[in-house]
Amino acid sequence: MKTIVIGVIGADCHAVGNKIIDYVLREHGYNVVNVGVLSSQEDFINAAIESNASMILVSSLYGQGELDCRGMREKCVEAGIGDIKLYVGGNIVVGKQNFDEVKERFIKMGFDRVFAPNTPIEADLPFIKEDLGE
Amino acid sequence: MELRNKKWTEEEFFKVRKEVLSTWPTGNDPELDLDKAVAYLKSIPASKNFALKLKDAKEHRVRTLVQPRAGVALLNEHIALLQHLEKAGADFLPSTIDAYTRQNRYSEGEEGIKRSEEAGRSLLNGFPAVNHGVKGCRKVVESINVPLQARHGTPDSRLLAEIIHAGGWTSNEGGGISYNLPYAKAVSIEDSIKYWQYCDRLVGYYEEHGVTINREPFGPLTGTLVPPSIAIAVGIIEALLAAEQGVKNITVGYGMCGNIVQDVAAVRSLQQLTEEYLEEKGYKGCCVTTVFHQWMGGFPADEAEALGLISMSSVVASLAGATKMINKTPHESVGIPTKEANADGIKASKIITKLLEDQTFPESQKLADEIAQIKKEVKCLMDCVYNVGEGDLAVGTVKAFEQGLLDIPFAPSKYNAGLILPARDAEGCVRILEFGKLGFNDEIKAFHRAKIAERAKQDGREVGFQLCIDDIYAVSTGHLIGRTSYKD
Repeated sequence: MKTIVIGVIGADCHAVGNKIIDYVLREHGYNVVNVGVLSSQEDFINAAIESNASMILVSSLYGQGELDCRGMREKCVEAGIGDIKLYVGGNIVVGKQNFDEVKERFIKMGFDRVFAPNTPIEADLPFIKEDLGE
Repeated sequence: MELRNKKWTEEEFFKVRKEVLSTWPTGNDPELDLDKAVAYLKSIPASKNFALKLKDAKEHRVRTLVQPRAGVALLNEHIALLQHLEKAGADFLPSTIDAYTRQNRYSEGEEGIKRSEEAGRSLLNGFPAVNHGVKGCRKVVESINVPLQARHGTPDSRLLAEIIHAGGWTSNEGGGISYNLPYAKAVSIEDSIKYWQYCDRLVGYYEEHGVTINREPFGPLTGTLVPPSIAIAVGIIEALLAAEQGVKNITVGYGMCGNIVQDVAAVRSLQQLTEEYLEEKGYKGCCVTTVFHQWMGGFPADEAEALGLISMSSVVASLAGATKMINKTPHESVGIPTKEANADGIKASKIITKLLEDQTFPESQKLADEIAQIKKEVKCLMDCVYNVGEGDLAVGTVKAFEQGLLDIPFAPSKYNAGLILPARDAEGCVRILEFGKLGFNDEIKAFHRAKIAERAKQDGREVGFQLCIDDIYAVSTGHLIGRTSYKD
């Protein structure tokens, strides 16, 4: 069973989607380690190391994701899990911006996939499957 | 200091105040001297005093007043934003505070200000008022012509409260429950009640010195299918805790659920019950008003559809007779709006409150039944709280959450039991499908079970978590109830 670390990054306390993602991933046979809301990059990375996770799925709903996600890939490399799959989704920047530009910004930061606002977790499942080689 | 629902002495208050003001350099501003702050607040005209404008609206009700949310990182941009929203017709203005400040992470707020200056756009989701300090806050007030309120989600808002009030902002949103459980994961309720006793005592101090300031418990909580009676019980508790510390002007809130009868019943029950409890517990001379929050859950991405939802929310708030309404914007589904989109939300809302200024929701048996149901549930929860607190409301609140007698759906805090699950009934009213340890009696539980069973039967599906998830998503897809049978 593959392990996915999920959580809400930074000073963000949006809890509802996090609980739904937890539920849906479990329903689809993944081992979910949920670091919950208000989680730092270190919280995600430590959980991934401890659980030998294949993927970290970062949620951000409050707009400050751009500040919170900077340097996360580098931190993963430093921690010895540089190859881990990194996803980010939600309302990850302040306000309505061109999503292609937003996506590019986060890809440059080292995220493997960047999901647009209002993407339900069910729509991510095929990508998760593909990227985990299932 | 042991937690009790008892007014802090000035000695207790000033002892803690010294510590609070030393937590960030802007706490050293000499304008935080309370004599100076009182003098400054007295110089603010009545038309810009939040409490006085609400009192006037209650006594000479014309229509529901409209207030947006808004806040950006930099002072001049923030002022430009508020001036734009005032021009669009906002009756009250906010300053939504950024999320780092809400967690008392002021050094990250400083970093956010710097990065925003470099980027030429706000990277923070609100106005970092502590970083901008008393002078910055006063500059905001002096640049607008309507009352100003801090809106946030800060478990420990003590320094923020000091700075905004000395800065001339005459209302503060929040409370020891409503700004903890939905906004934090590891702050104890005992601590957050003490933090908010401090904020309330500060307002009480100003009241004693001739300055009236409004306080507003945050009604919607997690904004996600919160059953009215739970939201109302929390609002009443926070109103009572505030009144004990000397607060006189209180606005209790409620987030739209979506069934019109239930929403109207909730607003009326909220107003009546809060006044009754304040009266019964001996707090005389409080001015209680209500605030209705437009739909707080997921919004449709389509901007015209979003404006439709905003308009519907405005109809309900107006007919329910809410004193004030917090509006959403057509950008809600992607987060923080531009000032233009925010202005559109205000205009769409305000015209409806004007069109409906002479109408109220008609009395009916259905409305009377729903009011009776809500009141019965609230009384049941309040009795539990006083019971486990052996008469002390603050102690009772801590114990009631500890035991799950009070429980807020989807709250991230580990101090919330998180055992209850809500779902909609066949008419879209929010009911409860899993009670956990919630302090309802068997009669009330049976009512909820029957209502949800009726809906599940109509849908031909099982009662369970999936029902709740579908209801959470439903409004953003254009339906109130998350049925599986819709064709579009």
